[in-house]
Amino acid sequence: MFLLLHRWIWQNPERCARKLLSFAETEADGGRDLIRAAELTRDPLLRRLFIVHAAEEDRHADLFRARGSMLLRTLSSRTSAPFQLNWMSPGERGLDDLRVNAETDASLLAFLHLSEKAAAGHFATYVDALKDDPLTSQVFKEVLKDETFHMNYTLAQLTRVAPQNHGTVLWKARLGRLWKAYLRLMSAIAGVMGAVMLTLQYFVLLPPFAFFAKRAERREPRGWTAVPQDRDQSLTSQY
Amino acid sequence: MKILGISAHYHDAAAALLVDGLPVASVQEERLSRRKNDAAFPMGAIEWCLEQGGLEPDDLDAVVFYERPMLKFDRILTCALRAFPQSWRSFPHAMKNTLGEKLWIRGIISSQLGVPRQKVLFCEHHRSHAAASFLTAPVREAAILTADGVGEWAAMTVGQGTRDANHTAISLFREIRFPHSLGMLYSTFTAYLGFPVNEGEYKVMGLASYGRPTMADAVRKIVPRTKDGAFRLDLDYFDFHTTAKRSFSAKFVDLFGPPRDPLDPIDLSTTDGQRFADCAASVQRVLEDILVETARALRKETGLPDLCLGGGVALNGVANHRILQESGFERIFVPPAPGDAGCALGAALYADRIHFGRPDREFPDHPFWGPSVESGELARLAREDRLGVEELDDPSLIASVAQDLVQGRIVGWMDGALELGPRALGHRSILAAPHTVQMRDRLNRDIKHREEFRPFAPVVAIEDADRYFELPPGGKRLARFMSGVFPVRPEWRERLAAITHVDGTARVQALEPGMAPRLYALLKAYGRLSGIPILLNTSFNLAGEPIVNRAIEGYLTFRRSGIDVLVAGQARVTKKALEKAA
Repeated sequence: MFLLLHRWIWQNPERCARKLLSFAETEADGGRDLIRAAELTRDPLLRRLFIVHAAEEDRHADLFRARGSMLLRTLSSRTSAPFQLNWMSPGERGLDDLRVNAETDASLLAFLHLSEKAAAGHFATYVDALKDDPLTSQVFKEVLKDETFHMNYTLAQLTRVAPQNHGTVLWKARLGRLWKAYLRLMSAIAGVMGAVMLTLQYFVLLPPFAFFAKRAERREPRGWTAVPQDRDQSLTSQY
Repeated sequence: MKILGISAHYHDAAAALLVDGLPVASVQEERLSRRKNDAAFPMGAIEWCLEQGGLEPDDLDAVVFYERPMLKFDRILTCALRAFPQSWRSFPHAMKNTLGEKLWIRGIISSQLGVPRQKVLFCEHHRSHAAASFLTAPVREAAILTADGVGEWAAMTVGQGTRDANHTAISLFREIRFPHSLGMLYSTFTAYLGFPVNEGEYKVMGLASYGRPTMADAVRKIVPRTKDGAFRLDLDYFDFHTTAKRSFSAKFVDLFGPPRDPLDPIDLSTTDGQRFADCAASVQRVLEDILVETARALRKETGLPDLCLGGGVALNGVANHRILQESGFERIFVPPAPGDAGCALGAALYADRIHFGRPDREFPDHPFWGPSVESGELARLAREDRLGVEELDDPSLIASVAQDLVQGRIVGWMDGALELGPRALGHRSILAAPHTVQMRDRLNRDIKHREEFRPFAPVVAIEDADRYFELPPGGKRLARFMSGVFPVRPEWRERLAAITHVDGTARVQALEPGMAPRLYALLKAYGRLSGIPILLNTSFNLAGEPIVNRAIEGYLTFRRSGIDVLVAGQARVTKKALEKAA
């Protein structure tokens, strides 16, 4: 059933192309964040591993971008990006919602391990769902190989840098991911509610003000406007 | 008196600290957070500036924000009302965006820094630009022209500044108000040509050289001139004032043809590719014409020989060159950070000289106000990775780097304090030999990963500049911070192929020995070996990343790219050492 759903999501070539392109952006962002992590860590081994990891994220970005662009070029006509259903078939979450500067080596490794594990699960599903599109499926297979390595090295390093409490750090990271997912959901709901309220106000409260604003605009002179020399230049005013 | 200037929330957040009228520190947030064009409240930059000045927030006499948030909100709300009902989609977004944080600046600054609310001041956006340009220039009196996308309401202003030991004044005569904006016009074409707005404007300028302004009349049609010598945008062709999603309208597309899909490469051998280049050339031509005419009128009005340019539009080096040649001004001053980042410094200077009436101080004429590089850090990193590292005295280091450059190696060069502004002016640069097209292609392919139509800039010792470049009178000043594009002398173009653009020009930096002494010495050493004392100088960063700040950032950029040699202070590491270690 789940597989059928993914087959349906990925069968639209334009949606598929746009999703690959957005995955490319996420991978590239993730690569930049890993470089930031490499800049911040004082552990030389971690620094070297993060550099390798970042290079692989960049390579994934290139793979996704190349395939996505190729698919787009084969389309005779393009629409304005069909609904991508990202919440149903996400890419790698990336480090978007993580402040690399605020993390310790251990908490960052735990976060990376869980992200890579989740992404590996998603990508394995997409490999199966894309049986009819061997080229795109091949891209996911290649990426999947690296994800497995990322998953393993992050866990191994976590055990090295936090030998006593790596289990606790992992659980904290799991809870952190849950909390962030909750926050994302709540902000999305709040965003929708806010937009509805503001749109209602727009149509109910604003029309008379809009009338006066338009009338005032018509009276405005064209071109230069003299700056009145007595305009309040005191820096205490916000107006 | 200790004054902190802040710019934030739109693009290029920054902080600047003035102590007794002189700058102590200034840095863009992106250089510390490592997020390109970071617009967030610049807490990192503020903390670094205070630390550099040895101050606590309590010690500050004032904190000046670079614009007036309520006036800006007034503009956003009024524009939504004027565009009713087409603005219904953008209205909730604009309100949420503004009401969330941007409107409550006084409270944010007060709570984040723990300073009393009455110490928080606000300087108008274009006055901040004007101050950043005029109060940093070595002139007593000058005309002032500022132009950008938009501040509160103003998008372009003209005025005049005067200063002596006891009194400073900046008087703005007139302004052109949003939505009629040269910055928005250029950004609209940037979006139409498939480049990211606020980042891709350089690309439009680079692409313009490949085209002919065959559509200039069409551009003039959408930017008609007004009787008083100003201009307005015909809003039927634009959408940026009604929606945040698209800046040009269907009528715009009818006039100029279908826009470029950002995913499609620009192929200049195709009809569409040439159309896009012609389009870029046309908007560039019209922008230049308007700026030149405005400057010419200002020259007549003020009778002053000097012009200070500010705002993001002042980054357009091609236009700056034409203003210098055709407006009648003898000298043009463009600060190293004419955009919003420089407004942090401008707002602080405005408060010091004009609001508090403090006496004028001679402003140090260089852009190096950021964190300094530590050569010890590079040496430590290299040792940790078991790379050979040399720590050399200046003469030996310069001799060996000049040798590297002659042998075609690409050098990452980190020296002293970080530049303020978008240009690498010799402290965080990638340097290379400027002679061949192959070098340009290698830099584009292996390091910068950017479009082949974008040019690289040269740096030359100031006394050698005239020999290789056609600099008009006043050109050397404009070239001080790489603010002008000038023709390469025809007889040198072939031997300077890596820095000569398709139209035979280059964005020259003319370097005085006092500004960056080590780079100056390197130029001379390279000249002695190669016969041409010019180097290709491009910013030390990879695509999508800000210019590097600390040695570790330079080191990781070196490791991930085709840079052959890295120099940070006295330390030098080579790729050979890296290969050996691998």
